[in-house]
Amino acid sequence: MLQSEREKMMTMQPHQTAYVQRASFVREGATTFLGHLDLMTCFERAARRAELPILYSQGYNPRPMMVFALPLGVGIETRCDYLDVSLNRPYDADLFVKELNTYLPDGLRILKSKAIPEPKDSIMSIVTTASYRFEAKGIREAMEKAMQQESLIVTKIAKGKEKQTDIRPLLISLSQASDGDPDSVEFYAFAGSERNVRPDLILGSLSRYCGMDPEKAENARVIRLGLFSGEYPRIVPISDVEVR
Amino acid sequence: MKNYPVPLSKSDLMSVESPARYVGGEFNAVIKEDMMEQLEKTGETSYVRFAFCFPDIYEIGMSNLALQILYHVLNESDFVACERAFSPWFDMDKILREKDIPLYSQETKTPLCDFDILGFTLGYEMCYTNVLQMLDLGRIPLLAKDRGEDDPVICCGGPCAYNVEPMADFFDIAMMGEGEEMILELCEKIREYKLSKNTDHPMTRSELLRNCDAIEGIYVPSLYEVSYSKSSCPGDAGSDGVIPAGAHVKPLFDDVKKTIKKRIIKDLDSCTYPTSPVVSNMRVVHDRSYLEVFRGCIRGCRFCQAGFIYRPVREKSVEVLCEQGRQLEKNTGYDEMGLLSLATSDYTRFPELAENLLSTFEGHHTSLSLPSLRLDSFSLDLMEKVQSTRKSGLTFAPEAGTQRLRDVINKNIKEEDIFSALRLAFMGGWSTVKLYFMLGLPTETDEDVLGIADLASRIEKLYYDIGRETGQKMRRLEITVSTSLFIPKPFTPFQWEPQNSKEELMRKQRLLKDHIRSRNIRYAWHDFDSSVWEVVLARGDRRLGPVLLEGYRAGHFFDAWDDHFRLSEWVEILEKHGMKIEDFSREYSEEEVLAWDHVSVGVSKKFLLSERHKAHEETTTPSCREHCSGCGAATWGVGECFAKRGEA
Repeated sequence: MLQSEREKMMTMQPHQTAYVQRASFVREGATTFLGHLDLMTCFERAARRAELPILYSQGYNPRPMMVFALPLGVGIETRCDYLDVSLNRPYDADLFVKELNTYLPDGLRILKSKAIPEPKDSIMSIVTTASYRFEAKGIREAMEKAMQQESLIVTKIAKGKEKQTDIRPLLISLSQASDGDPDSVEFYAFAGSERNVRPDLILGSLSRYCGMDPEKAENARVIRLGLFSGEYPRIVPISDVEVR
Repeated sequence: MKNYPVPLSKSDLMSVESPARYVGGEFNAVIKEDMMEQLEKTGETSYVRFAFCFPDIYEIGMSNLALQILYHVLNESDFVACERAFSPWFDMDKILREKDIPLYSQETKTPLCDFDILGFTLGYEMCYTNVLQMLDLGRIPLLAKDRGEDDPVICCGGPCAYNVEPMADFFDIAMMGEGEEMILELCEKIREYKLSKNTDHPMTRSELLRNCDAIEGIYVPSLYEVSYSKSSCPGDAGSDGVIPAGAHVKPLFDDVKKTIKKRIIKDLDSCTYPTSPVVSNMRVVHDRSYLEVFRGCIRGCRFCQAGFIYRPVREKSVEVLCEQGRQLEKNTGYDEMGLLSLATSDYTRFPELAENLLSTFEGHHTSLSLPSLRLDSFSLDLMEKVQSTRKSGLTFAPEAGTQRLRDVINKNIKEEDIFSALRLAFMGGWSTVKLYFMLGLPTETDEDVLGIADLASRIEKLYYDIGRETGQKMRRLEITVSTSLFIPKPFTPFQWEPQNSKEELMRKQRLLKDHIRSRNIRYAWHDFDSSVWEVVLARGDRRLGPVLLEGYRAGHFFDAWDDHFRLSEWVEILEKHGMKIEDFSREYSEEEVLAWDHVSVGVSKKFLLSERHKAHEETTTPSCREHCSGCGAATWGVGECFAKRGEA
């Protein structure tokens, strides 16, 4: 068969119906230090080991159809991130959770899943807000100070070029840690494809502008607590967003 | 599962390239919980704690099949707990030294000095200094003679262990040959040693080593002495008229074995194989599972060490392979499986195996990776099937540019075979060809070098001729000519051959470069500094121990990484110790005692010598499948060559 004929055949496969599972997951321990691409690969391999009926993308380089709501940077734990997994047949949500959890490496765990209709809006496009928890000595004072600033200018490196941006407008609201720990804070910040702030940039600004010891800031534990859709304060967790 | 925290601060971890290398937590990794409980309760354990050490970075080590095989064998046994450790890259090396943190294992983050035994795999000579780095960071005395009763036993295996002499000062034990059985026998001895500590007659470390010498295939360098004689090669003498050569290794005691014979696994089908290998969480060099198809090679290319040290050829059955392949796919989740051997097409039932695996993978989006395929109509057809998405290049390794030189090296590939395979491939739409050659082979002339350029341009002509014949619209052709440098290796017919000088190699490289003019042909050459040093380590003897130690102390490691290898500094150290590169790159005389003569890989020196003579007569030797040439490997009574003999 000629190359061109084969290429034609591959692209002419009919569209398959996707049965989507929207799942929430935790990441902690060793897997915290994986980059986002490696994290995705871990989920793909677990799904393959579990022999889940995953749907693959079409084209020259078929990939399992798994979409993550928001990339998770190296060193960030999560208590509740989300992904959509497309399957080629209806699948029981509880069984989906059980199977995947049997085959995920230590530190990654599915919390819940539910079957949703094939979403018109990608899970990435509905994320607007994230909540985080920082744990470090002196973090509370520093974050409180940060919230009082007019601006927090940080240097971002994008495409090899340095760029100055103000991250203060991206911080929404600060609160005490839900468990009352005085060395922890929790806060909401903009997240998603339109406006987003990376936790390491916030920590950097704390030592630069808010008197926090740089070593403590660098060693702060960073946990993403949840991802939301809608406009603050009328936000809803991604798992509760109605899919039409 | 219990969490074993990394002994580093988050900011330290985050400051290095790829922190995931240093945290463990991989799928299928083994932690023996009952052993950890014993340790916690009493501070001791009746297990033998084994650290499998790979002297290079994580991504390379995790792509190594020996690691996966032995990790599996050791953890399958009920009295050994095996963990893994890798060389930390420069950034992490610096942190460990500055913060005074010992190098630790991936699984339970235990400092290397707290293990009972460390096993290094020596896959290439240039990793030697990384062994020293790992020992040093692991808080273990570098020299075997400085180690005491509480230090781990340091051993090694792998292809470089056959001539371990340059590293003899650092290893307590070297394992010759295939390790699956031997490594457990060794652990048994270590267990006896550990248990004796709580009795009235505790065993000493030197008693332990004497006990280990009783195991076939095990070499204890400290039980041997070396005497050096002068080279009998005329014209090799230095300004003082003498050069030391002929390193003769002899046992110190009567009951120590004179010859160490390598071990092999006689029946691969019944030998345990890792069908649940550790799956890295991060991307590694070869992100796929491996199915080992057979060991050994029927070909006998005269430069190829692997072709001789892995004899005799032993195949696994199709049935076993298909079952192992099925399990591997299911247990790893990899979307690619590689068939591993020295020449996959030589597997007797290759078509059946390939088709069976492909039907197992049907609908799973799993692809089959087939390195070392010989091109013919079957393999082209197969490649069409397995590479359902993209066409990677075709690869040929003619190794030499002329038929004369190919006969010298016994590379039994005929030009008409290359051209008929290429004709088929080009008709099928392939347009990328990679050609591998060696420069500096024995008897090589400029005509042979230019033959490489000539072969490439005739392939180019064939491609466009086919376009004209068929009227097909052809894409642009891409030919890559790649040359590496010949390195004479122990246990090959070329073990006596000289290596070209650096200047001569540079001249040949320039000559070839000047004769490749087409824009469709790209010439990729290798840095040869490392090849110049590799020959020193490959054919070296115990005089190199102090050289390696001094080099490491001066900050040389990761020598396998061209960017970090500094030849001139190594030459300086070598000369300081009264040696020069030429002492090892020279022609060795056929009469002199070689530093590795006390080791037997099963192929006789007499056979190697006759192969060398045939090379100089430009005579080829048939493959083991066509005719048994009597190399000596048949004495094991198994495998291909033996079967052939039985028939005759």
